[in-house]
Amino acid sequence: MINFILNTQTPLVDAIYHLLGFDGLIGTIISAFIAAFLIGNIMLISAGIAGPWAKRKITAVFTDRIAVNRLGPFGLLIIVADAIRLLAKELIVPEGVDRPSWDIAPLILPFSALLGFAVIPMGGPLQLADPETGLVFVFAVASIASIGVVIGGYSSNNKFSMLGGLRAVAMNIAYEIPLIVTAASVVLFAGSLRLSEIVSAQADPLIIIAGVAIPSWFAFVNPFAFILFLVANLAEIGRNPFDIPEAPTELVAGYVTEYSSVYFVLFFLGEFLHVFLGGAIIATLFLGGPAAPISSLSFIPGFIWFLLKIWSVFLFTQWMRAAIPRVRIDQMIEIGWKGLLALSFINLIFTAVLVGVIA
Amino acid sequence: MIGVSKNGTLDYAKLEKMLGDLVLQKEDHVNAPAFVIRPDAVEETLTLLKDEAGFDHLSCVTAQEYEDRFESIYHLRKYDSPQHELGIVVPSPKSNPWNQSASSVFRTADWHEREAYDLVGINYVGHPDLRRILLPDTWQGHPLSLDYDQNKPQIITLQEHENPLQHTLDDNTMFINIGPHHPATHGVLHLKTVLDGEHVVAVDPDIGYLHRCEEQMAQGLNYRYQIMPYPDRWDYASAGLLNEWAYARAAEDLGNLEVPEYAEILRTMGAELCRICAHFLAVGTFALDIYGDFTAIFMYAMRDREIVQSILEDLTGQRMMFNYFRLGGVVWDLPEPRNEFLSKIQTFLDAVPAGIQEYSDLMTSNEIFQLRCVDIGILSPDVARQYGVTGPVARGSGIDYDLRRDDPYGYYSNLDWDVVTEDGCDIYSRFLVRLGEVEQSAKIIQQCVSLLESWPEDDRIIQSNVPRTIKPPADAEIYRAVEAAKGELGIYIRSDGTQQPARFKIRSPCFSNLSTLSEMAEGGLVPDLIAALGSLDIVLGEVDR
Repeated sequence: MINFILNTQTPLVDAIYHLLGFDGLIGTIISAFIAAFLIGNIMLISAGIAGPWAKRKITAVFTDRIAVNRLGPFGLLIIVADAIRLLAKELIVPEGVDRPSWDIAPLILPFSALLGFAVIPMGGPLQLADPETGLVFVFAVASIASIGVVIGGYSSNNKFSMLGGLRAVAMNIAYEIPLIVTAASVVLFAGSLRLSEIVSAQADPLIIIAGVAIPSWFAFVNPFAFILFLVANLAEIGRNPFDIPEAPTELVAGYVTEYSSVYFVLFFLGEFLHVFLGGAIIATLFLGGPAAPISSLSFIPGFIWFLLKIWSVFLFTQWMRAAIPRVRIDQMIEIGWKGLLALSFINLIFTAVLVGVIA
Repeated sequence: MIGVSKNGTLDYAKLEKMLGDLVLQKEDHVNAPAFVIRPDAVEETLTLLKDEAGFDHLSCVTAQEYEDRFESIYHLRKYDSPQHELGIVVPSPKSNPWNQSASSVFRTADWHEREAYDLVGINYVGHPDLRRILLPDTWQGHPLSLDYDQNKPQIITLQEHENPLQHTLDDNTMFINIGPHHPATHGVLHLKTVLDGEHVVAVDPDIGYLHRCEEQMAQGLNYRYQIMPYPDRWDYASAGLLNEWAYARAAEDLGNLEVPEYAEILRTMGAELCRICAHFLAVGTFALDIYGDFTAIFMYAMRDREIVQSILEDLTGQRMMFNYFRLGGVVWDLPEPRNEFLSKIQTFLDAVPAGIQEYSDLMTSNEIFQLRCVDIGILSPDVARQYGVTGPVARGSGIDYDLRRDDPYGYYSNLDWDVVTEDGCDIYSRFLVRLGEVEQSAKIIQQCVSLLESWPEDDRIIQSNVPRTIKPPADAEIYRAVEAAKGELGIYIRSDGTQQPARFKIRSPCFSNLSTLSEMAEGGLVPDLIAALGSLDIVLGEVDR
C-alpha cells in the first residue's frame, strides 16, 4: 500500500505535500485528501454552474429565448436559488422500493464520475494521480455509473424506471466497446496508457501553416477517430440523440422517475459530472489536454485551456440536444453494434498499420 | 354504383328501391333524406349501402331519446363525394332500447356506439366491446336519457384499486399505464398498454378524463346567443373559429339564415388563421415527441404561432376563446385602422415561405427524423376509411377528402387553393400534409386580404338580419360538418320548436382519428406509439367534449 502510494506519480499531492511541509505517510494521506477535495470541488462547481444556469442559457440561445435573468448578474444567482429549492424539497420514498439499493443508486452516479477525474491531467501540477494504466482506470470507473442507473431503475418499483434502467444497460454495452476501441487507437499513437504521456505525445507541431504551428493533437492527426469518439461519448453520457434511458416523452423520466429532492440532485449532478468527465477524456485524448492550441497563447495557464475544452464539449452536447431528434432504442442499438463497432475496429486496424509503417 | 344519377347527384328513389323492404319509412332531414329501418336490419342495410351504393364513410352515430322511443341515426357519406349524404334512422322501443351494432360493417361504429350507449343508453347487440367510453365504469344511469336525474350526486368509486405492478398477465408481457399524466399524451389521455419487452402488444385508449358535457350544455342554451362561446372550448388549441363555424353552419342551415358575402370572407380568413395556429402547434408538439426535449423547433413553432395568435387577438379581441362568429355573420368588422391590421397579416404571410423552409431544413430533411417517421405508424387508406378518419391524417393516407372543397361552404369555392395529400400513409406524410396545409392556408388568407382591401366601404355588411329569437320548426334535423384543423367536425341538431336544441351532437374528428391508434401502434415499439400518437394531433378537449 505504502509502496503503491509512493510509486504512483501524484503531481498535485506532491505539490501540496511540499507546500505545507508535511512529513511521512500521514502527511501524504492528508495532502492526498486535500488534493482530492480540490479537484472534486472544481468539477462540482463546474457541474453546479452547468446544471441550473449554463444549460438554461445555452438552450435558450438555441431556441430563441432569454432564460434566467432576474437573480443576480446574468441570472447567476439562480444557482443558489435552485440549490435551496432542490434540497428543501421533500424526499418522497415510494411504497415498495427496494432499500437500501434505492438509496445507494443515486450515490454511485456522481462518485463514479468524480473518481474518474483523479487521473485527468488538468494542467501544471493539477493531477491527483498518474498511474501507468490511467486510461483504463478512467473508463473503468466511468462505467460504474451504469450500475447505478440499473440499480435505480430496478429498485424503484416502477415500470418506467425499469425500462429506463434496461435501456441504459443495452446502450452502455453497445457503446462502451466502440468508445474504448477508438481510445485504443489513440494509445497506439501515444504508445502509453498513462494520461500524462498521452498529453505530452500531442505537444509536437503537426504542420506549420503561415508560421503558426498546428499541434499534433490526435483530433487533427486522426479526425475520424475523434468523430467516432464524440458520437460514442454522446451515448456514454446519455445525451441526445441517445438520451433513450431517460426519454422524457416515452418513459416519463426513465430511471429517475421515482427520485425526488436530494436523490434527484445526486442523479442530476452525476449526469453533469459525466458530461464533464466525457469532455475531460476527449480533451486528454484528442485535444492535447491542458495545452494551448498555439504556442504564442501558452502564457494562459493550462488549467484555463482545460476548462475551456471541457466546456466546449458540454456546449457540443447541448447543441446536439437542441437540434437532433432522439433515435429509437432498436435503431440506437443497431447504430452501436453494426455501425460504430465496425467503424471503430476499422479505425483501430488502420491506425495500427499506419503506426507500424511510420514507426 | 347504385343510386347515383347521370348528373352526379344522389337518386334516393333508387337507393330506396335497392333496399326494398328494409326501408320502413322515409324521413326528411334538412341536410339529406333518411331511411327508417328495423333495429335488426342495421348490418344488412349498411352493408348494402356500403358495398352497392358506395357509402364508405360513417361520419357519425347519433343516439337520442324521444317521448315514445329511442333512436340511433347513422350519418353516411362517401369519401369521394361527401355531398352524397344519407341518414339511417333506427328507432327502438322505449322499454328495451336496442339495435344491431354496425361495428362489423364500419369499424368506427365501435367507439361511436360505445359513446351512444354510455350517454343515451341504447344497447347495441353484437357490439364486440360495449363498455362506457366517456364516463367512469361505475357511473349510474345514462345522462342524455330523459329520465336521468341530473341533480342526484354520483359517487364514483373505482371498481377496484388496481395496482398496475400486480397486474400480471399470463404470458411474458407487461401491463403499463401510459397516462393520464404522462409527458407525451398531450393532455389527459390514458393508454392502457401491454408490452412485450419494448414492443407494443396491445394498446387501449381510455378517454373521458376531460368530458365536460358539452353536448348537454348546448341542449340547455339558446341558438341565437348562448351556444356560440362553447365551440371554442372543444378544440381549444387555437382552432376556435373553425369550431364556431361548425356550429354556425349547422344552425344557419337549420334556421335558414343567410350570411353576407363580406362576412364569409372574414370567416374564411379567420378560420384559416386558426388552422395555421393549430398546425403550428401540431408541428411543435410533434417535434417535442420525436426530439424528446424542448428543442429549437418547438420554440420556433411557438414563436410563429404567437404572431398568428396576436393577429387573431386584434381581430376577435381574444387570444383563444374567440367567440367571434354570430349566426348570420360575425360580431364585428376588422379592427381600425384597417390598413394597419391588413399589413400586419401581410407581414406574416410574407414570412411564411421562409418559415416553412426552416421547418423543412430542421425536420423533414433531417435523417434521424426520417428514420423515426418514414414507414412508421402505417395507416392504409382502407383502414382509414373503415375508422372514419378525416383531416390531415386521412390526407396523409392519400384520401383526397376535404370538406372545404367537396362540400363547399364559406368563401372557399371562390378562392384558388389546393388540397394537400400524401401517399406515404405514415407519420412522415401526416407531418408533410400539415406543413403543406399551412402554405395553402396562407394562400387563402392572401386572397382574402386582397379582397378585403378592395371591398367597397358601403358594402361591408358583417351580419345579416337575424331575428332576436330563433325557433326552427319542430322535429327539424340536420347534420352539417366543416373541415376543422383535425378533420370533419360535424354537428347534429334536432329542434323541438323551442329556442334550444333538443339534441346537440358533436362529431369530433379527433375522436374517430384516435380510435386508429391501436391499428398504428400495435407491433411497433414504445417510441413508435408515442410518435404515432403525436402524428394524430389530438386535442383531448375535442375527443372528450
